[in-house]
Amino acid sequence: MLKKLLPLVVWVFSASYSYSDSISPYFGITGNAAIGSHQWIMNNVLPEPPGVDVNGVFYSYTPQKVTEDDFKVTVGNEGVWSDTEDWSGNPGGIEVRKVIGLPSVPKEAWGDGYISTEGTGTVEDATVVYSYKVTPCFDPQFDPNCPGYQVPVPPTVEVTIDFYDATKDENVNLSAADSVLVEENEEQLEKEKEEEEKEAEEKLRKYRLEKAMAAIDASALLAENQRIQQMNNIMQSAVDSQYLTATIPGGTYKETVVLVDNKIDDNKNGRRNGLAQQLLHNQMVDMQYNN
Amino acid sequence: MKGIIAFLAVSMTASYALADTGSAPITGNVQSRCIITTDTVGVYGNPNAYTLTTSASDGGVLPVIRFDVTLADAYYAQVTTPTEFTSSPSLSDTVSWTGTTEVKAVSDATNMGDYETNKTTFGSTTQYDLTATGSTWFKSTSVATYGGNKAFPGGAYSATVEAKCIAQ
Repeated sequence: MLKKLLPLVVWVFSASYSYSDSISPYFGITGNAAIGSHQWIMNNVLPEPPGVDVNGVFYSYTPQKVTEDDFKVTVGNEGVWSDTEDWSGNPGGIEVRKVIGLPSVPKEAWGDGYISTEGTGTVEDATVVYSYKVTPCFDPQFDPNCPGYQVPVPPTVEVTIDFYDATKDENVNLSAADSVLVEENEEQLEKEKEEEEKEAEEKLRKYRLEKAMAAIDASALLAENQRIQQMNNIMQSAVDSQYLTATIPGGTYKETVVLVDNKIDDNKNGRRNGLAQQLLHNQMVDMQYNN
Repeated sequence: MKGIIAFLAVSMTASYALADTGSAPITGNVQSRCIITTDTVGVYGNPNAYTLTTSASDGGVLPVIRFDVTLADAYYAQVTTPTEFTSSPSLSDTVSWTGTTEVKAVSDATNMGDYETNKTTFGSTTQYDLTATGSTWFKSTSVATYGGNKAFPGGAYSATVEAKCIAQ
């Protein structure tokens, strides 16, 4: 019977069901939490991945009791939900089946589950099944396709190397001259180190000074530009004051010349000029043969 | 044996007319708030030549019918065990029938726990007063015995448990 109801339970609590994408949320149901005991730990019932939200519970059981006896049965989880059925005055042997809808409650909020009884009677064939939703990308690092995924940076390994210093080795016996030489060498090293630090400090100071002077120059240039702009504005306003405001009448200027006889005579001067050019051309051509 | 889903729908239509003044039809629908579903189809076992029974110990399967009610104190559930075969080989002798119906499960024990106590039986029909909203599963037994302890003729037999939701 439970097998027939489970698909219904899944359908009730899930609007969609998909395993097609590894990062897509998917739904599922647990096994029977009450199969071995009437108390159970949720971490042993729900799946392990983070991002598990429980959104419903189906439970069933059959009480065994005498009709006249008082008997109450409570099913629930610590801190989340509980449901009590009062079988007092009712016969036993009748199964109860309930589907409890819940808002999505994170796995971490679920306390231990239990079936408790009060009165005379027993509970048999108990079944408690949870419906849940898994959101794999609850932890963005679950999959590179999850929003907010960050490429993990390998941890930095600090390596400490102990250099052997023969001058500190008590088993090494140095002569007086060698000891003096070592001390002078150490002094020289310290002196060089101090000089390097001073030089670095001096470079840093110069750098800061240059940056400050550059900022001063930039501000001075900006002020100069503003002053020039203001002078230009004043001069332009003085020029503008010499003009009067006038309105140019608009409108359409229509053609007034009318061609009376619908034809244009050739220009006589032009014809004469053209003829003179032709005559001159002919004379020039003739000169080639006459000479 | 086949469980029957009996769905009771009530519809009403009223019309009203006055002479010389026209008419205005009014229509309405009443949707049933009692739904019957076959949860388990029954099977007859054949423990001996002259008996067919749904008893699990005799190889049968009890038919289970579910009533889903969304309105309390509004319906009676009536479950009738079979008194004849709906199909069978030709039978030359009479068949005696016995059957019972019981509550198998409820969705609200506090308010439905007394259904079994308060049921009434007349003939092969058992009636329950559905006083609470929720689901109730009813299981029925059916035993058919051929007359004079004769052997049932070979063939397929089927019968029907009828379930009705009757408005109070």
